[in-house]
Amino acid sequence: MKNILDRNQDKADEVRKLLREKNVVMVNLISSPGAGKTTLLERICENLGNKMKIGIIEGDITTDRDGQRLKKYNIPIVVINTEGGCHLDSHSISKVLDLFDLNALDVLFVENVGNLICPAHFDLGESFKVAMVSTAEGDDKPEKYPMLFREAKAVLLNKTDLIPYTNFNLSNFKKDLIKINAQIPLFEISCTSGDGLREWFEWLSEQLDIFIKI
Amino acid sequence: MHEIRIANDLSEIVLEVASNEKLSVVSRVNITFGEMVQIVPEIFDFAFREAVRGSIASEAVVNFEIIKIKLKCRECGNVFNLNGSRFACQECNSSDLEIIAGKEMFVKSIEGE
Repeated sequence: MKNILDRNQDKADEVRKLLREKNVVMVNLISSPGAGKTTLLERICENLGNKMKIGIIEGDITTDRDGQRLKKYNIPIVVINTEGGCHLDSHSISKVLDLFDLNALDVLFVENVGNLICPAHFDLGESFKVAMVSTAEGDDKPEKYPMLFREAKAVLLNKTDLIPYTNFNLSNFKKDLIKINAQIPLFEISCTSGDGLREWFEWLSEQLDIFIKI
Repeated sequence: MHEIRIANDLSEIVLEVASNEKLSVVSRVNITFGEMVQIVPEIFDFAFREAVRGSIASEAVVNFEIIKIKLKCRECGNVFNLNGSRFACQECNSSDLEIIAGKEMFVKSIEGE
């Protein structure tokens, strides 16, 4: 019996060990395309940029548009183009870690390629995964993509300000999420209006403390 | 479409093992996937065919075994197969569960001569 993804797992273990030594927390951010990952990173840079030293790895199938959007925050950003690949893997992460000064970082956010299935299966060596969904996508995602909602350490429900204009049913979404993972913390946020972001930032800061102390 | 990447990794393992074992042809590859992996066998098979095209494994049959999701309750110790999609203990209703089977992605054996 051999694990088919052994190569990915071995490299992920290496990445995790290196980041542990350097005391850097890596957050693997996973969502569908358009759920608001880049906007979330903008809000993180604006609100937490003076409290923690942030680095970003931008996974994109093609183009560096997301990377360009984040340039204004003057933080280290590396773009990985997967050239068609629907997720990042640990080898691509390992290759770009050399481009960061890890001694000068507290947290490294990885914006994975927009997709709810594939990224959930590939360990990047992250400290934890965060799943993000937006109300415009519908309220039925947890049961459709159980692996992600089991693997993630938190769920962000973005675009709550759009609920009145969609058929998104918050109570159905919560029921669906509880069915798959009743223990996962859910943050209802709007990266546009700023609603709910404070609670999420507080949780994130607590997690960084926990991971750095371990 | 994680099938493509997983099929590529599988093809590398198959060809490496075949070379180590000095096989001239690979006839069958037996693999195990857990239900959580959400592999679509038809897509996987297609991706694997592409990955091994022109190699000694090009005619290999891929035999899938799908493993049910099995959970262990951290509260009462009950071990059970997931029934439907609700992750809750069937004895005590706790949601504090460990997935003990269902995430597998294994090559069980490779047949050839």
